Amino acid sequence: MHRPFYFRSTFAVCLLLLAAADVPMFAQDTPTSSKLPLRVTLVLTPEFCATRMARGSQTSKFGFEVGKAACEEFEPTLKEAFASVTTTSEAPKTGDIQLILIPKFVDVGSTVGMTAFSNRELDVILQWTVKDLSGTTIWIGTVQGSAKHHQGNMFTYKKNLKLIVDDAVKDLASQSAIRMSCSAELRKLSQQM
Amino acid sequence: MWRVRLTAISAFLLVPLAFAAATFPAYPIKQAKECPVSAENAGLVVGLEPVENSETQENYFHTELAKKGFVPVFLVIENRTSTNSFIFDKTIVSYGISDSTISTPLTESGAGKAIAVSVIPFVGPFAGVKIISDAAQIQQNLMKKEIQSTTLSPGASVHGFLYVPIPRKTARGKITLRVPISKASTNETFDLNLVF
Repeated sequence: MHRPFYFRSTFAVCLLLLAAADVPMFAQDTPTSSKLPLRVTLVLTPEFCATRMARGSQTSKFGFEVGKAACEEFEPTLKEAFASVTTTSEAPKTGDIQLILIPKFVDVGSTVGMTAFSNRELDVILQWTVKDLSGTTIWIGTVQGSAKHHQGNMFTYKKNLKLIVDDAVKDLASQSAIRMSCSAELRKLSQQM
Repeated sequence: MWRVRLTAISAFLLVPLAFAAATFPAYPIKQAKECPVSAENAGLVVGLEPVENSETQENYFHTELAKKGFVPVFLVIENRTSTNSFIFDKTIVSYGISDSTISTPLTESGAGKAIAVSVIPFVGPFAGVKIISDAAQIQQNLMKKEIQSTTLSPGASVHGFLYVPIPRKTARGKITLRVPISKASTNETFDLNLVF
């Protein structure tokens, strides 16, 4: 719903991020468009889509169902960052694509609300590996998606859990698209291809 | 009667303060060359500072990690070139005892997970929510402070902690941390070894 507005401001966000980060701003790094003119394949394996992240003594059975939400959210969001995005369940060896995007969940952290009405925070960390068709790694980036929601009581806990996971993954997808759009290496590559 | 009401209201207002979210100060960022241990290759500089003092650990992590069998190691990596990009992949960083050739990948040792479990005190079914809440905040802070894999563009830097396993009851010996770095767009890889 908010995606078009979000990506209209990608250019500004890119500039702000580059200014705030340690990354120096070079003339060739200046983004000319929010979309990278690259044809990419997004690799969403069945294992990735089934990922449940647990923390500490929590068992994965009761973990956060981040994989399912990511597999629904990533393709439409990344289409705002690249000229063409296709999704496959395994890394392709050939095809009319230029880059392969491989996501991997790294970690998850969440606070515990004191009452049903107190907010709990969820942070999901994901690593992106971008390779070319020969298998050479072009770029690696780690992004964090965060969300806050009420903990909920015994009747609303499950619903609130889904809400916080969905929101954190939406944030993760948006952060991923911004990071890739802002990447000096990917922008340089798109000019060469 | 008004005194009872006043006490009750005061107590009610103080509850959120007692359960307020803990604040974890950010660890002061240093340049790689300012760290006690540093290494350099091809214009890439890595600095390392082990945080072994228990008070410092308590201050930044709200837990004594040494007692859990880990030493937090602050790592800063700087790309001082003007043309090359480098890739730092946290998942292939390894460590070993300095005199030995054995090198254990940090991630395979399950450092993060092990810490996550160990910071939670054993609490039974009647555990206070406060204890669980505090433990969750400590875990989240450990995660947020951890260094993450990244691509270092020319002039860029990255910093954060790695949690290296150490013996709990005996003094630790010298540890070598092996940080593999690869050049973006090539398969050329080199190691930076840091002994601490």
